[in-house]
Amino acid sequence: MLRATDNFAPRAGTRVAYLSLVSFALLTIAVLVGTMIGPAGPQWWRVPIELANRLPLITVDSGVSPEEWNIVWQIRMPRVVLAVLVGAMLSVAGASYQGVFRNPLVDPYLLGVAAGAGLGATLVFTLRRSATENWLIDPLPLAAFVGGLVAVFATYMIGNTFSKARSSATLVLAGIAVTSLTTAVQTFVLQRNNDVVRQVYSWILGRLSSATWGDVRLILPYVVFSCGVLLMHRRLLDVLRVGDDEATALGMNIRRVRLTVVLAATLGTAAAVAVSGLIGFVGIIVPHTVRLIVGSSYRRVLPMSILCGAIFLVLADIPSRILADPAETPIGVVTAFFGAPFFLLLLRVRKNQA
Amino acid sequence: MKLLSRAGFAGLFICAAALFAACSESNTATETTVVVETTVSEVAYPVTAGGITLDAQPMRIVSLSPTHTEMLYAIGAGDQVVAVDEYSNFPAEAVALGTKLSGYEPNVESIAGYEPDLVVISYDPGNLVEQLNALDIPVYIGNGASSLEQAYEQIEQLGALTGHLDVAVQLTSQMQTDIDAAVAASSASATAMGEPITYFYELDNTYYTVTSNTFVGQIFKLFGLENIADGVEEGNDYPQLSSEVIVSKNPKMIFLADTKCCAQTPETVSVRDGWQKMDAVVNKNIVQLDDDIASRWGPRVVELVKSISDALALVAAGN
Amino acid sequence: MSTLGFCDLSIAYDGVIAVNGFNDILHSGEWLCLIGPNGAGKSSVLRAAAGLVKYSGSVAIDQKEIPATSAKWRAQHIAFVPQSPLMPENMSVYEYVLLGRNPYIKHFASESIHDKQVIEKVLMRLDLTQFAKRMVGTLSGGERQRIVIARALAQEAPVLLLDEPTAALDIGHQQQALELVDDLRREHGLTVVSAMHDLTLAGLYADRLVLMHQGSCVASGDAQTVLRSETLAEFYGVSARVHHEADGTVVVIPQRANSN
Repeated sequence: MLRATDNFAPRAGTRVAYLSLVSFALLTIAVLVGTMIGPAGPQWWRVPIELANRLPLITVDSGVSPEEWNIVWQIRMPRVVLAVLVGAMLSVAGASYQGVFRNPLVDPYLLGVAAGAGLGATLVFTLRRSATENWLIDPLPLAAFVGGLVAVFATYMIGNTFSKARSSATLVLAGIAVTSLTTAVQTFVLQRNNDVVRQVYSWILGRLSSATWGDVRLILPYVVFSCGVLLMHRRLLDVLRVGDDEATALGMNIRRVRLTVVLAATLGTAAAVAVSGLIGFVGIIVPHTVRLIVGSSYRRVLPMSILCGAIFLVLADIPSRILADPAETPIGVVTAFFGAPFFLLLLRVRKNQA
Repeated sequence: MKLLSRAGFAGLFICAAALFAACSESNTATETTVVVETTVSEVAYPVTAGGITLDAQPMRIVSLSPTHTEMLYAIGAGDQVVAVDEYSNFPAEAVALGTKLSGYEPNVESIAGYEPDLVVISYDPGNLVEQLNALDIPVYIGNGASSLEQAYEQIEQLGALTGHLDVAVQLTSQMQTDIDAAVAASSASATAMGEPITYFYELDNTYYTVTSNTFVGQIFKLFGLENIADGVEEGNDYPQLSSEVIVSKNPKMIFLADTKCCAQTPETVSVRDGWQKMDAVVNKNIVQLDDDIASRWGPRVVELVKSISDALALVAAGN
Repeated sequence: MSTLGFCDLSIAYDGVIAVNGFNDILHSGEWLCLIGPNGAGKSSVLRAAAGLVKYSGSVAIDQKEIPATSAKWRAQHIAFVPQSPLMPENMSVYEYVLLGRNPYIKHFASESIHDKQVIEKVLMRLDLTQFAKRMVGTLSGGERQRIVIARALAQEAPVLLLDEPTAALDIGHQQQALELVDDLRREHGLTVVSAMHDLTLAGLYADRLVLMHQGSCVASGDAQTVLRSETLAEFYGVSARVHHEADGTVVVIPQRANSN
């Protein structure tokens, strides 16, 4: 007689546990590598020794001078930590959006977060020249954050006005409308202030090079909260996979779930965008790659996206800081370079499947 | 399979990066030299200027601003400079340093790698000051000057910080004298014309221009020249004019500040559709300026002033 | 075992009336089949009971009206098998059937041991155990129909609604599916309402038929009462003969215009 729960669940569970462990190990290695490599600072092999030295109860002489360590701790570490947070956030937000809208090509910028944040940043750059140097708080991340949220709010409002059903297709269309309008306004503002074009362009490409511990502290609560809420919804995203009607017939309040997931994902994405600009492709590449490894169930895709997204961005940041040494390559350029071949690969895989 | 595709990506990526590096711009150094005496004077440290305090004379200065690189060398602090950015193409000593830091996408680690005791920038692309301060590196910010007075102030601040205040003061008063002389000499030419002379200042070959509210616009104002872009677009100091507007306003003089970036010359201007009949083209009053000199607010602004003055003399002579 | 009651059920889409005051009561364990031409309102009645469209009037289970606000309660009492279920390609059969337990799993929680036991029982009953780890996309039409029924069964709801359950199946699988539903009905005491196009099959399996036309019920009763050639001619506009087999089966045979 088959014992209940013998056959199906546990084996899948152990495989996922194994994969999570491997991913976590990979993340640790990636973080370590990220802290070891850079255009200046201590020799790479001394860094882990000094890290060990900094642990309580361990004293080891690594030969790293205080100035060199300062570079690692004040400049490199925040960057790596930010890459972990932003990479994880964008990936899980992308995966969640794909679940909520049942469309694999959706990324976290779908509903207008990117355009709104871009407009906010542009406005700050144009004002900055005259007014804002002496403000208490840095207006740039604030404006980007608020801009992103306002844009998504507008998308929701427009979606509701034009369709009582509040279907996902309506929201996507509304998002496109808001993005187009916001981008048009941004272009207009830039046209009238084209001395800041370079700065805005630079911001839009996305960068981790300006990361400080302050940035990390700023977005940590948002990212943690957002990831937490999204993880809690992973089983529900699986239910959504059979469509709105069937999910409703199975007892789910689809509007509430959709709203909550979109809100949480947007909050986290807006925070990430506020400090790192518009880093593209992460929200699409990582979830899809994760699906190829662990299958399409969101119960596995969401947590794995968090881990793999972090790994991806930490590793992508390394060429970003050493390729064009002594300048920086904006990380958005690096992820874009991965993006194009990734999609070609995806096309090929799907062609073989079909 | 995953490993292979990652390796594939890396390979593709490296090829692309190589392409990227190969296509980057090359700098051209200009030929003119500014001769200034270098004196090492006794200055009392700590010194506070420009919002920062230095405890000792900085001997490892990093400059990420081409304008301020010129200032540093002009006030005799050249020996104290260890690295400059990729666009600091004057003077030749700066280029000879062979460093190519980026002021727009700064790599803080690379900057820190030079162990600087002073970093000079003209704008903060984001958190740069905060990051450098976290490494205990003082940063001097010299925002784009909006007037000659501000330019002089920055030169003197740098003088104070680097221990060459007397040279700096000497330089600024020399600049002031030279500029006043050039303006005075041309006032004769300007009034000889009777009506005010209008001009068009070309930033690039898509007709972006500047108004009189900008630094360079104010220089032209010293000569009593009238900018055709004034009042065209309220609130925008860098408007883009259309070809029609420029032709219809028919300026007497055209100043080309896009000779280096966009290869514009009097010849290329004169073949533009509809421009052949313009006053400036017919009388050949098209002045070629060096892009760099025209866009910086350092010591070479005197050369800009002299170019304008010479051009005005020609205009007067032509009439 | 539950009774199902429709009281004055009315549905309108954008002002156009699709169902006009539908009334019916099913006793527990009964199989009612809704028949009627396209647009008669059969699907609408089912979808209303499943909570997918707004309606006025009431649907009651064991004389208790279904609250409009609780989708969970409704899903625990009514299982709906749609006409064209969305089949996610890369979902395993186990995960698909697990969806049927959604009404019982707390919002943010995972399935419990009990839920897993229910699923495994259902899979065994429907002979799907060997398919448990297969992806839905690799199944045939007949197998897919079985897993949709399995999911509905996992809901442990006393009422089962089937919207055109045989539409995409060949004659053999049609019989299999309907026999299965009938067996399950007897085993679990399910009350079944189905909407069907195939009149002979409808008469064969349902206890009672309701013929709908333009949103209203125009005939109700067993197969012999409802399936008459004049009734069919009037409401379907079809020319057909009705043949009664010795064992009581009613067979509807369409007639060609120039038949002999």
